[in-house]
Amino acid sequence: MFQLKWLWRSMEPKYRRLFVTGMVLSAVTCLMLLINPSLTKELVDEVIEKGNREPLLRLLGIMLAVTAVRLTLRYLMVVCLELASQDSVCSLRRRLFDVLMYQEIAFFNRNRTGDLMTRMTGDLDWCRHFIAWISFNTIDAVVTFLSTLILFFTVDWKLTLTMLAVTPVLLVTTKIHSNKIRPKFGAMRERLAEMNTAAQENIAGNRVVRAFAREEYEKQRFTEKNRAFFDAHLAINRQWMKFFPWLEGLANSMSLIAIFAGALFIILGSDLTLGSLSIFINLSWAMVMPMRNIGPLVNDIQRVTASASKVMEVYYARPLIVDRPTAVERPEPQGKIVFEQVHFSFGHKKVLKDISFEVLPGQTLAIIGPTGSGKSVLIQLLARFYDVQSGKILVDDWDVRDWKLQQLRSAVAPATQDVFLFSDTVEGNIIFGNEELTMEQTAKFAHMAAADEFVDAMPEQYNTIIGERGVGLSGGQRQRVALARALAMQAAVLVLDDTTSALDLETERYIQEQLRELTCTKIIIAQRISSVKDADLILVIEDGRITERGRHEELLQSRGYYWETHCLQNDGVHSESYQTRWVR
Amino acid sequence: MARRNTFEVDEDLESPFNARHLKRAMVYIRRHTKKMGLTLLLSAAASVSGLLGPTLLRWTVEDAIPGENLPLLALLAGCYLAATLLGILFTSIRARIMARVSQQIIFDIREDLFAHLQRLPFSYYDSRPAGKILVRIINYVNSVSDMLSNGIVNLILEIVNILFIIGFMLFTSPVLTLFVVGGLPFFVAVVWFIKPRQRKAWQEQSNKASNMNAFLAENIDGVRVSQLFARQQTNITVMERLSQAVRRCWLRAVFLANWVWVSSELLTQIVLSLLYIAGVYWLSGSSQAELGVLLAMALYLKSFWQPITNLANIYNGFVNNIAYLERIFETMDEPVEVADCENAAELPQIKGGVFFQNVTFAYEPGINILENLNLSVSAGQSVALVGPTGAGKTTVVNLISRFYNLTGGAILLDGGHDISRVTLRSLRAQMGIMLQDSFIFSGTVMDNIKYGRLDATDAEAEAAARAVQAHGFISEMEKGYFTEVNERGSRLSQGQRQLVSFARTLLADPRILILDEATSSIDTKTERLLQEGIAALIAGRTSFIIAHRLSTIKHCDRILYIGDKQVLEDGSHDQLIAKKGLYYQLYMAQVWGAPVI
Repeated sequence: MFQLKWLWRSMEPKYRRLFVTGMVLSAVTCLMLLINPSLTKELVDEVIEKGNREPLLRLLGIMLAVTAVRLTLRYLMVVCLELASQDSVCSLRRRLFDVLMYQEIAFFNRNRTGDLMTRMTGDLDWCRHFIAWISFNTIDAVVTFLSTLILFFTVDWKLTLTMLAVTPVLLVTTKIHSNKIRPKFGAMRERLAEMNTAAQENIAGNRVVRAFAREEYEKQRFTEKNRAFFDAHLAINRQWMKFFPWLEGLANSMSLIAIFAGALFIILGSDLTLGSLSIFINLSWAMVMPMRNIGPLVNDIQRVTASASKVMEVYYARPLIVDRPTAVERPEPQGKIVFEQVHFSFGHKKVLKDISFEVLPGQTLAIIGPTGSGKSVLIQLLARFYDVQSGKILVDDWDVRDWKLQQLRSAVAPATQDVFLFSDTVEGNIIFGNEELTMEQTAKFAHMAAADEFVDAMPEQYNTIIGERGVGLSGGQRQRVALARALAMQAAVLVLDDTTSALDLETERYIQEQLRELTCTKIIIAQRISSVKDADLILVIEDGRITERGRHEELLQSRGYYWETHCLQNDGVHSESYQTRWVR
Repeated sequence: MARRNTFEVDEDLESPFNARHLKRAMVYIRRHTKKMGLTLLLSAAASVSGLLGPTLLRWTVEDAIPGENLPLLALLAGCYLAATLLGILFTSIRARIMARVSQQIIFDIREDLFAHLQRLPFSYYDSRPAGKILVRIINYVNSVSDMLSNGIVNLILEIVNILFIIGFMLFTSPVLTLFVVGGLPFFVAVVWFIKPRQRKAWQEQSNKASNMNAFLAENIDGVRVSQLFARQQTNITVMERLSQAVRRCWLRAVFLANWVWVSSELLTQIVLSLLYIAGVYWLSGSSQAELGVLLAMALYLKSFWQPITNLANIYNGFVNNIAYLERIFETMDEPVEVADCENAAELPQIKGGVFFQNVTFAYEPGINILENLNLSVSAGQSVALVGPTGAGKTTVVNLISRFYNLTGGAILLDGGHDISRVTLRSLRAQMGIMLQDSFIFSGTVMDNIKYGRLDATDAEAEAAARAVQAHGFISEMEKGYFTEVNERGSRLSQGQRQLVSFARTLLADPRILILDEATSSIDTKTERLLQEGIAALIAGRTSFIIAHRLSTIKHCDRILYIGDKQVLEDGSHDQLIAKKGLYYQLYMAQVWGAPVI
C-alpha cells in the first residue's frame, strides 16, 4: 500500500486539492442519495395515501432540485478527479521521461524498450485509473456503508450488531484474497511487459525477420508471450473465483440476517417493531452493495499497486553520473583535451589501460585500431557517459567531472558509428543539436557533409521526412546526414566515430577537405588509413592500450599495426603487401 | 507515396463510423456464441433467483411474523439462503466463462494482428513510427477486451431487461407507460447530439496517445544520441506538448461522455415527477387499487431507466473502444503487397542461378529506379554491384529476395522458377542476406547467431562464429556465447554486431548470399580475416556483394556497374579496367585520387 501513499505524495498540492475536493464531493453526493427516498416516503404517505395534493408540487420540486444539485456536484466530482488524475499523470510522465532522458547507458542495458514503454503507458494509466475512478468508488462504498450503519444503529443496535457479525470473517477472507492476488497481478503485469518487448523487437527488427524468413518463428514466439499473458489473466481469475463466492455469500448473508434474525427478534418478543424491520429490509442493499464492491476494488487496488511499483522504479532511478555540486558553468569551451593515465573497465573486463595524450584546440587527433579495442569508449568517457576508474580527463584543463554535464556534452559534437536518425524532416535531423540554425546554415552544413546533393533530389528536399532510425536512406546517406548533424552543432570538439565507413572514397575525400576548413578540435576514429593520415596525432589502440602514436610518416616507419593496415588497404597498389584472394 | 508519418502527425481515418467494425469483431465473438449464450441463460437464472427474494420477504412479513411461526420462518430463511447460493453459483459460472471468453477474444485478435504484421512489407514499417504499431498490438487490443465480451452480454441483458419492464408496465397501465417511455426521445436526442462529437473526441484522443507513444518509443531507443547532443531539454519540451495534447483530448472526451449519465438521471427524475403529477391529478378520488398502480409504475420507472442508464454507459464504452477497434482493423486491412501467389509452389533446392528479364521497378509509380534490366548470373558466381549512391544497388538485391514486387519483368532462379510464383518462405530460406543494419535481438549471443538456423547446435553456431572471426571477442565476453545482449544498450560495437549478424547469415547456409555493405564497420585486419573465412563459404554459392571499397570486391567473378536504371558495365575487374569506362574512373579515383604516399 505504500505505493498508494507514494502516489498521493507525488501529487502536486493543487492537484491534491482537486483530488480531495473530488473525494468530498463523492461523499456528499453519496449522502444526498438518502434524501429523495425519505421525501418519496412523505409523498406516498401524505399525497397518495391521504389524498392531500397540496405538498405534491413542493415535494417534487425539492426532489428535482436535490437531483439537479446532486448531479451537478457529481459532474463536478468527475471534473475534479479527471483534472487531478490527468494533471498528476502528466506530471508523473514528465518526471519519468525526464529520468529516462538523463539516465545512463547501464540503465538501458537493464531495461528493454518494451518494458519501459509498458511503464510509461499501461502502468501510468493504472495510476490515472486509481485517482480518477477507484478512489471515488472506494469513498462511495465506505460512505454508503457507514451512513447506513449509523442509521441502523439508531434504529436497532442489537440487530445491527447481529448483521455485523459476518464482517470479521469477510475482512479476513478479503485480506487473504488480497495477499494471494497481489503476486498474480505482478506476474500478469510482467507478462504484459514481456509481450510488449517481443512485439517491439519484432517491429524494430522487421528487416531481419523478413531476411531470414522467420515470420513463423516470430509468430510462435509471440504466441508464447500472448499465451503466457492469457494464462496469467486466467490465474488471476481462478483466484478471484475462489474468493468471489465467499464475498457474495457473506455480503448477502447480511441481508439474510437482517430479515430473518429481525423476524426472529420480533417473534421472540424483542422491542423491534415491524416498521423498524422494514427499514432494515429496505436499506439492507446499502450495506450489501458496498461489501460486494470490496472484491473488485481490492483487485483494482492490487493491480494499481503492481503498476505503481513499476512506475516508482523509474521515478526513483538515479543516474550515477550527474553534475558534481562543485560543477560550474565554464567560459566558452576551447577544445583542449588531455587524457592522463586513464583506466576504465566494464565489470572485470579492462577496456582502456593507461591512456594518455594531449590535443590542443584546433588540432586533429586520429584513433585507429581493431574492432572492439575500446576506441568508441574513449569518446564515451570524454562526453562523460561513464566515469573513469583512475586517471583524469581534462577539457580546457578542467576535469570533465567538474564541468556541467550539459555544457560538456554541448562542447562535443559526435557523429557516431551508430547512426540513429529520428523520424523528422531532414532539416529537423540536421539541426537536432542546434535548433537556432537558419535554413541557409542548414544547407551549408549539408553541403559540407556532401548531403546536399541527394537531399535536393528528394521530393520535398529538406522537408522530406526520414523514417525512424533513418529508414529509407542508404547507409551512406544516413552517415552524411549524421555528419551534417554533428557539424551543425558547431561545437569546440568534433568527433567522427567511423562516420564515413559507408561512403565511397571520393565522397570521403571531399568531406575531409571540408573538415580541414574547420577550426574546432577534431577526433577521428576510423578503420581506413586514408581517413586518418593527415591528423596531427594518430593513436593506435589495440586491446585497450595505446600501442603506437605519432604522425603518419612516423607510424609507417615503426612497421607495426598501422603500417600493416596501410599495406592491406593499398594492396594492388603496393606489391610489398600480402594479398589475400578471397574469391576464387 | 504518402508522406511518412511521424509523432507530429495524426493518422486520419477516412472511414466514417459504422457498424462494420463491430460486425467484423463478431468474427471473434461468434466462436464463443455457445458460451455467451450460456452466460446469458446463467445471468437470467441468477436474476430469477434474485426475484425470489422479495416474494420470500413478503411471506415472512405477512405470514411468519404475525403468525409467530418459527418453522415457517426457518423454511423461508432456508429458501432464501438456497436462492442466494444458487444466484452466486450462476454468477460464478458466468464470471468464469466470461473471463476465459474475453481473454480468448483478445488473444485471437492479437494473434491475427501480429500474424498480419508479419506479412506486411518493409514500406509499412518504414512509413510510420514503431511506437504507433506497438500500441495497436498491446494497448488497444487490451482496451477492447471487456467491450467484446461482457459489454456485449450486458448489452443484450439490458435490452431484454428493458423489454420485460415495458411489458410489465403495459400490463399495469398503458397510459402511464407512455409517460415513462415518453422521456426516451429526449434522451435519444441527447445521445444523438453527443455521439458524433464524442466519437471524434475519442478518435482524437487515440491519435494523440499514439503520437505520444511513437515519440516515447523512438526517444527511448535513441536516448544515447539525444544525450550526446545534449538535446534532452528539447525532447522533454516536446514530450510535454504531446502529453498535454493527450490530456486535453482525454478531458474533452470524458467531459462529453459524462453528460450521458447526467442527462439520463435527470430525465428519470423529471419523468418521475410528471408521472406523480399525472397520477395524482388524473387518478384523484379513485380507488386505493388505482393508487397502487401509480406506486407500482413509479417502481417500474426506476427499473426502466436504470437499464437505460446502463445501456448508455455500455454505449459510452463502445464509442470509446471503437476508436481502438478501428485502428486494429485498419492495420489488419493494410494490404499485403508481397504475398504468396495462389498455388505458390515450394522452391526446390536450387543451385543459385539468377536471371533478371526486363526488370522494371519503382517504389513510387512513375519514378522508375530500374528499367528493363537484364542480367544473367550463373550458379556459383560472385557478383559485385558498384555505382553511385542511390543508383539502386540495394534495390537490385532486395528484388532477388522479393522484398518488393516488380513493376515489370521477371526474376527467375535456376532458369525456371519465377520468384513470384514460389512461396516466400522457401525462397528466402535459400537466401542469406546481410543488411546494412545488423539488428541484434535481446537474448544471448548464441540466440542471435542461431536466428539463422533455429535447429543448429551450439557447436555449429560456434563454428560459424569462428569462420567469421567473431569467436575471439565473443569468448572474451563475461559469459561468452551466453552473454545477454540487446539492440539499444548492448556493449557490442558496430563492428562486432556486424560480425554476429555475419555468423547468423553463414549458419543459415544459404544458396544465394547477399552482402549489402556488410563489412563497412569492421577494421581492415578483421575484414581481411573475415574474407578468408567467407572465401570457403562463397565457393559453390551465388553471391551478390555491395561495397564501397573497391579493394574488397575486385576479385569477384563479375562486377556490375549500376547507374542510369541499368547495368552500364559488366565484366571482371581486369576487363572493366581495360575498358577504361565508368568503373575504371571510379577505381582510379579511389586508388590514385588520394595522395596516398
